[in-house]
Order: sequence, then structure tokens, then C-alpha cells
Amino acid sequence: MIFDEPRFLPGGDTFVLVQFGDDARIDLNFMALGLTAALREDRTKGVIDTNPSYNSVVVEYDPDLIGADDLERELRRLIEGLGPVEDLELESRLAYLPVMYRDPWTKACVEDYAERIAPREGDPEFVARINGLEDAAQLARVHSGTEHWVVAVCSTPGLPLMVALDPRCAITSPKYNPPRTWTTLGAIGVGGLSTSIYTTPGPGGYNLIGRTPVPLWDTQARLPAYRDRVVLLDAADRVKFVPVEREEFDYIESRVADGTYTFNVTGYQRFSVRAYKAWAASLDASERF
Amino acid sequence: MGFTVIKGGLETTVQDYPGRKGAFGMGFPPSGPIDHWSFRLANVLVGNPPGAAALECAFIGPVLRADRDAVIALTGADMKATLDGAPVPLWESIAVHAGQTLALGSAVTGARTYIAFAGGIEVAPFLESRATFVIGACGGLEGAALKEGQSIPLRDVGATAPSRRLRDGVRPPSPAGGVWEIEVVAGPNDDWIDEAGKRRFLTSDWRLSSKSNRVGFRLDGPDWTFTAKATDKAPENGEHPSNVIDHGYPIGAINLCGQTPIILMVDTLTLGGFINPYTVPTCAWWKLGQSRPNEIYRFREVTVAAAQAERRRIATLCTEDSLAPGEQDGGRA
Repeated sequence: MIFDEPRFLPGGDTFVLVQFGDDARIDLNFMALGLTAALREDRTKGVIDTNPSYNSVVVEYDPDLIGADDLERELRRLIEGLGPVEDLELESRLAYLPVMYRDPWTKACVEDYAERIAPREGDPEFVARINGLEDAAQLARVHSGTEHWVVAVCSTPGLPLMVALDPRCAITSPKYNPPRTWTTLGAIGVGGLSTSIYTTPGPGGYNLIGRTPVPLWDTQARLPAYRDRVVLLDAADRVKFVPVEREEFDYIESRVADGTYTFNVTGYQRFSVRAYKAWAASLDASERF
Repeated sequence: MGFTVIKGGLETTVQDYPGRKGAFGMGFPPSGPIDHWSFRLANVLVGNPPGAAALECAFIGPVLRADRDAVIALTGADMKATLDGAPVPLWESIAVHAGQTLALGSAVTGARTYIAFAGGIEVAPFLESRATFVIGACGGLEGAALKEGQSIPLRDVGATAPSRRLRDGVRPPSPAGGVWEIEVVAGPNDDWIDEAGKRRFLTSDWRLSSKSNRVGFRLDGPDWTFTAKATDKAPENGEHPSNVIDHGYPIGAINLCGQTPIILMVDTLTLGGFINPYTVPTCAWWKLGQSRPNEIYRFREVTVAAAQAERRRIATLCTEDSLAPGEQDGGRA
């Protein structure tokens, strides 16, 4: 549900968690990202950083510059200033990311898990089946048929947590239990309502349905896109997956390797929550691509 | 030119304080020293700003050769440091001459030693911090712990007078008998734990697991019990009572992963799907930094205001005013 009043929950002496509700409806993320943008603009004294997610924002503050009570008052003021969620308009770029669905690398990762930890069928086939889709080919069609909203960039450097904006493309799946001990770098994973891209080769729990050959962060500024930024995506950006076959995957990978790959990111749009909601409400969510 | 790494030690990293701030939105935690009290005092002893880049040495320290004259100070854990074989005192600044070898061994008390160099370590900042973040392969020397053969570059400064000491009562108390009383603030998710569970948390002994590092401190202890909030919730929260819809993690949060509490430390994942019933405030991190596997934590609940007051008290101790009388202005020769 959406809380009548946001909740302010302390996280030690320098953090407060501002929570707008207790489920994963996208309105709550719009509020969280609206507050994040408002704090950035307001330059509220004593606020050091924000860490937004599905229904909340962790705000880091310097207690020598602002007390907990004053901070809560400032946050309430900014939240009131946001108005109704429909009024929000957020800066939102659109990034086109190549993906090879049902690639051999994540397939090998899932097979390694099945062999060593717990038996399981292929992840794309599993996710297709429990979502009532014909096969893994349709899963790829559905998954690449929507823009994915970047809820947060978090957890490890550059990692986007995303949800499908088109209700006809929503898929859900349970996460691994127990989790994987390693994950293919660049793997596209789905779990719960979310899609993510693994930006480090560490453990994970999402079902692996494909792989992108492009890096989402670069601390060495090797690729042109990273000359003036460290990570490709920000919260409130959108991602459109572009299906590619092996030959194209290898070509893009070689362009990344020699430092000449150019990302396709558009930067002229703002995201209107009102326009989005009107469009989403006009659709028949039972339709599938 | 500065020091050459002869042996890296177990995990010796360049850190600065307060670390890499303002980067949560990119998925970067702050990094920085865990025992930031000892870290800042090391810098004060050599005349640096308290947050200047210095070394954090975990459990087994490095062996370093001086390539030029320098003034350094060691604080924190006692690793039986020697300079060309002669014992080196902790908590005071000392002169090191070009060609001399500084050798640290294993920690005999505490867990982390800090080595500050007059002028500070001159590595390129990344996102405005020199702190090493190993998972992000950034900061420090090549984004990793020190390795044999590397050179630690120092900023050039005029000589700083050695033998600066601290007044009594300004440094962290010595660890006592392997039992630590750790302050905690309730929240953000304390209402997911039932009254019996809260009482159990605050009255039980928690053993620090050897599977602990700068990412998280793992604790062994009794099971947790939950309120309806944890057991009767929307399915998107996940199956286990400790699961919640992904949310941002405060640094220092006691993150309940199934039944295992993990104190999220300076190199933590910045977000995830487990609840954080309590948070260890910054004023208690020095205790985490100096505790050893199998030592015992007992948690004591304090208010946000009390934790902030203690944070301020420690900050006032990490200044030049803490130098022993007559030595405050002996900084530059």
C-alpha cells in the first residue's frame, strides 16, 4: 500500500530511510526518485547522498550540519512540494542495449549450478513456462518488447534494477534458492518483478535469460561513453534491449575490446508519470507479443 | 617517491576518511577506514588533515622500504612493528630514513593497524576519494590491496618533527578480554522483530565469524523471531521472514540474511532484499575494526541523539588539540 504519510526510519546516526509504502507498485519508486531529484535541486544543507529503491530512499546526512528532526522537516517540505505522483516529470534517458537471448555463456553458468548445487532446467525455458509463454523465443520477444524502467542503480557498481514499463511485458519468477556462487559478467537476469544486469561476476539469485557484450561501468574511461561518467545508467533512465545473434554479439564485443564501441543513449526526453499511467491503463495487459 | 612494498601483508589498502561520498546512485559504497578513530589520530600525529590518505593493514601488516626520509605514525592494532629490526612505538610519530625497512607482523592485540605518512599518500583520487574499493577495482593503488614491488607515492612536504605523542585519554580504549559492548540504534526495520527477538538480540552473546571482511561482519548467535510484518506480507517481499522488497542499506546496518546477522561495513553492497532491524552507528565502528574472529559482541541500544553526541566527541579528539602539551605547533621544522 501507499502510506498516507511517508515514514522516517533511522539507520544509525547518519542515515534515515524514507519509506512511501510497503509494496513494489511503481508509483512508490516515482515518489522516491522525485524526492531524490528534489534533494539534488534543493541542495539541502547537511544532506550528503541519497540511495533510492522500489518504495524508499535512504538519505545520508551529516548530523553536525543538520539534526534528525530538522532533516525530517526538510524532507516533509520537499515531499509536499512534489504534489500528486501524476504531476511528476523526471529526467529520463533511453539506452539501447544489445542482448543475445539464450546465449551459450549464461547457459553454461546455469548448467554448472545444476551440476554442482541443485538440479534445474534451463532458466529461459523455466521463466517462459511459469509465465504461460509458448517458449523461450517468446520470452525474448516479450522481454525485448518493452522499455525497462531503471528503479535504482545499486548494489554493485553500475548495476541497474529495472521493471518493465509495458504491462503486456511483465514477467515474474522466483529467485534461486540457494543462490548461485558465480554469475556470468553481463548476464541479463530476471527475478521477482525485476530485470537486472550483472556488472560483477559475483553470486546472484536471478534467472539468467541472456547476456550483453557491453560494460555498464568503466572506472578507467576506456570507452568514449565513460569519459565524463563512471556508470552508463542513472535511476529514472530507461533501457530497451535489442536482440542480437552471435555474429553481432562477437562484433560488438570486439568493438568494446578495442575501445571504439559507441553506446546508443538518447537524452532529449522527460518521463511524465501522468502520460505513462494513461497509456498503461489503455492497454489490455493479457495481450502478449 | 615514497615507500616500496616488499610484502603486501594480508590486506593492506590505501584509505581516506570519510571515503567516497555521494556515489550511492552509481552503486559505490563509501569505503574508507573501519576504525576511523585510530586512522584520524595517525594522521594528526604526522601533521596531516585527519582524513588524509593512509594505510589500513588487516591482521598481518606489510613490509615497506623507505625510498626517502619520511615521518610516519602507527596506530590501532599492535603488529610488533620494527624499523630495521628495532621496535617501533605505536601512537607517536617517528622518523624513517631512506633505505630503512618498516616491518609489521601479525596483530597481537586488535585487528587493524593504520600507518600515516607526513604529507599523505599521493594516489589519483577517483570520484573525489583515494579510498580503495576492491570490488569496484578503484581508488588506492590500482584499485586493490598492496602487492609486492609496488611503490607508494607520498606528497612532498617539509620534514615534520618526529616524536609527537597524544595526550592521555584521547585514543580508543584498549580491547578488553575479547568481549565488546557495541552501541546500536533501533531501525530501520526493528518493527519486523518481535519483543522476544529484540530482547534476545540485546541480551545474547554474538560471536564474530572468521567470514568477516570490509564488506560485512558476520555474527553467530541465537535465532531471530518475527512480527506479523515479517511473516504476513505481500508476496513480492520474498519468502523468508527476513526478505523485503529491495531497499537501500545504511552503512553499519545489521542485515538479517535468513537467520544470520551481517553488519554491513564500508565496502558493502549498497542495496538488497533483507531487513535491517538495527544499525551500528559510526561512533562504534572502531570496535568492529579492532575485533578479531571468535570475539564476542554484546549490543547496547542507544538513541540517535546519543550516537551523534559520541560521534562528535570522537571527532573533537581527532584534532591537533589531542597532541601532548608543547607539541601542537612543532609540526614543521
